[in-house]
Amino acid sequence: MAETTISTAAARRSFFGRFNLEVRGHMPMGQQMLVVAAGIMLGLLISAMLLVVSGVKPSGLVNEFVVAIFTSRRNVAAVLSYAAPLTVVGLAAALAFKARFWNIGLEGQVILGAIGATLVANHDFGPPALRLVIMALAAMAAGILWIGLPLFLKIKLQVNEIISTLLMNYIAFNLLLHLLYGPWKDPQSAFPNSKLFDDVERLMPIGWQNLNLALPIAVLLVLMAAWLLGMSRYGFLLNFVHANARMARALGIRIVGLTLLFALASGALAGFGGFIISTGIESRLTQSFFVGYGFSGILIAFLARNNPFAVAFFAILVAVLMVAGQSLQVFYQIPFAMVQLIQAIIVICVAASEFFIHYRLRMVE
Amino acid sequence: MDFVVNWLANVPGFAVPFALAALGLIICEKAGVLNLGAEGYMLVGAMAGAGVMLSLDVHPLAALAVSALAAGLLSLLFALLVIALRVNQVISGLVIVFFAQGLTALIATSQGWTNRAFSGLQDLNFGVLSSLPGVGRIVFQQDLMVYLTIVIFAVVVHVLRATHVGMRLRAVGENPEAADAAGVPVGWYRTGAVVVGCMLIGLAGGYLSVAVSKIWVDGMSGGRGWIAIALVIFARWQPWPALAGAVLFGCIEALIPRMAAIGLQLPQYFVLMLPYVVTLAVMVWTSLSANRRSGQPAALGQPFVREERR
Repeated sequence: MAETTISTAAARRSFFGRFNLEVRGHMPMGQQMLVVAAGIMLGLLISAMLLVVSGVKPSGLVNEFVVAIFTSRRNVAAVLSYAAPLTVVGLAAALAFKARFWNIGLEGQVILGAIGATLVANHDFGPPALRLVIMALAAMAAGILWIGLPLFLKIKLQVNEIISTLLMNYIAFNLLLHLLYGPWKDPQSAFPNSKLFDDVERLMPIGWQNLNLALPIAVLLVLMAAWLLGMSRYGFLLNFVHANARMARALGIRIVGLTLLFALASGALAGFGGFIISTGIESRLTQSFFVGYGFSGILIAFLARNNPFAVAFFAILVAVLMVAGQSLQVFYQIPFAMVQLIQAIIVICVAASEFFIHYRLRMVE
Repeated sequence: MDFVVNWLANVPGFAVPFALAALGLIICEKAGVLNLGAEGYMLVGAMAGAGVMLSLDVHPLAALAVSALAAGLLSLLFALLVIALRVNQVISGLVIVFFAQGLTALIATSQGWTNRAFSGLQDLNFGVLSSLPGVGRIVFQQDLMVYLTIVIFAVVVHVLRATHVGMRLRAVGENPEAADAAGVPVGWYRTGAVVVGCMLIGLAGGYLSVAVSKIWVDGMSGGRGWIAIALVIFARWQPWPALAGAVLFGCIEALIPRMAAIGLQLPQYFVLMLPYVVTLAVMVWTSLSANRRSGQPAALGQPFVREERR
């Protein structure tokens, strides 16, 4: 392994005092995974300590996170039903990040996707047999619409997409509130909900617990994303562009076209995620159906380093946190915000642990 | 006329959070650290301020000081990530926002601070001046922070432009290699800029809860941190234009409750979209105007690793 050090560096004081920072050469994949796993364990440990401080008994922790979840079919099903939309949104994030387009507007695209699907459901567009397909297409179109504007501004005017996609979240949320408190409010409900979807507008159950088609669809999407990133020519070209952008440009690869393809796919997937949540979990539009999915999607893609299979793995991890968080809320009055906090802690620990993949500290002689 | 006076009298209160947050961001970014966590520091500041007001019997200014300190404390975590551990600054900034959202909701809920009103910072009274028609309401009936904000701006501008520390700080953001070669401790300057900048952002958040709404609600900063980031780009990293931008957004935000008060029948939620739509428009306008990149610190967002020099 090649390490680069510069002799003069030792002469001046390092930021780390008596330690010098060295850049590592490449670390083998197995070792890298060990480092990341250590980061995750550290994050979970800190989170566990936080929960104990908040009044959960250590035995209760084991009970809620391990025993309750893996010994009850109902809880396994609950974890999987959350994991499906989390996977879809995580894949949406991964596709955009892979193309170096910081799509922080997943939440807005999820909201728009659900709005698109509900629009179709409210007006009963199309024959009942095709209703779900039309709803899914409308959701994807709405997601594309919502990423389209920031994407256009980024490509044509170099407007920073981090901020523009984020602003679109707030616009989408206000649009949702407008619909739910106004034209789409179900008169029979005391809450700002849309009316319940008809039976043909809900995802079919697959015959085990309360799971529905969302799960196999999510698995299929993982495989499709893996093919797109790993085996298709677009994935290959994208890797090539990141390895050597100047060479890629000289060879006439249309970098803008690639960004466009992956970012639009990201918007479509996020919109599809909104479709899955509204038809598969809530069966209607509510003012908080999307909470947590957008942000979790971003964190999942980061933890998974944009690898579709790892996205599915971390989506399940986050789903476990969500299910355990719900029972902690009921039995220990721990606010549900704890789930978001734990996710952030895990990501911080993993991000920090990556330091040891890229650098090493060596004591100054 | 009454409408205009009522409207303009409310502008400073809405402008101060944008102004202070933008100023804090400018300090961070001048030192080369891209800080996307503004929304998070505002939340922490707002919650800390509200918590102090609800649980201790102290002057609101003390609560604001705690706001700044709380955000400064959180910024140490951010500094550890991006300056010591060289983690990607985009991811670090975002994760700080998620962390702060979770943390503030958790603490406020478990302490029972949510949705409890308190008496916050009151407006000053300058006697005769305050009762002048029109001008009195707009200029002489504001709270202390409104006037202090202008002082803070003047101090920061002076430090950045005319002192040794400010010069070194800008050097660290423009060309860390050269600054390092000249003996400037790059990491420490960046850490200092992040902590001071984030304290100002926390102060902006504290102002939201302690002086404006006088209540804590989960997620109450409502995207103002992100708007402040856009404002900094709009102002090309210069403090006074950032203040002008903050006043512009203060005007828009102050207009929203005024329109409802005079009985204008507008779809409420479309009106609430206004600040975000205007921010997008401002970003488009900024990028359309000539030399859009001018003013951006050259090393913005790049971690400094001395040992990686080529």
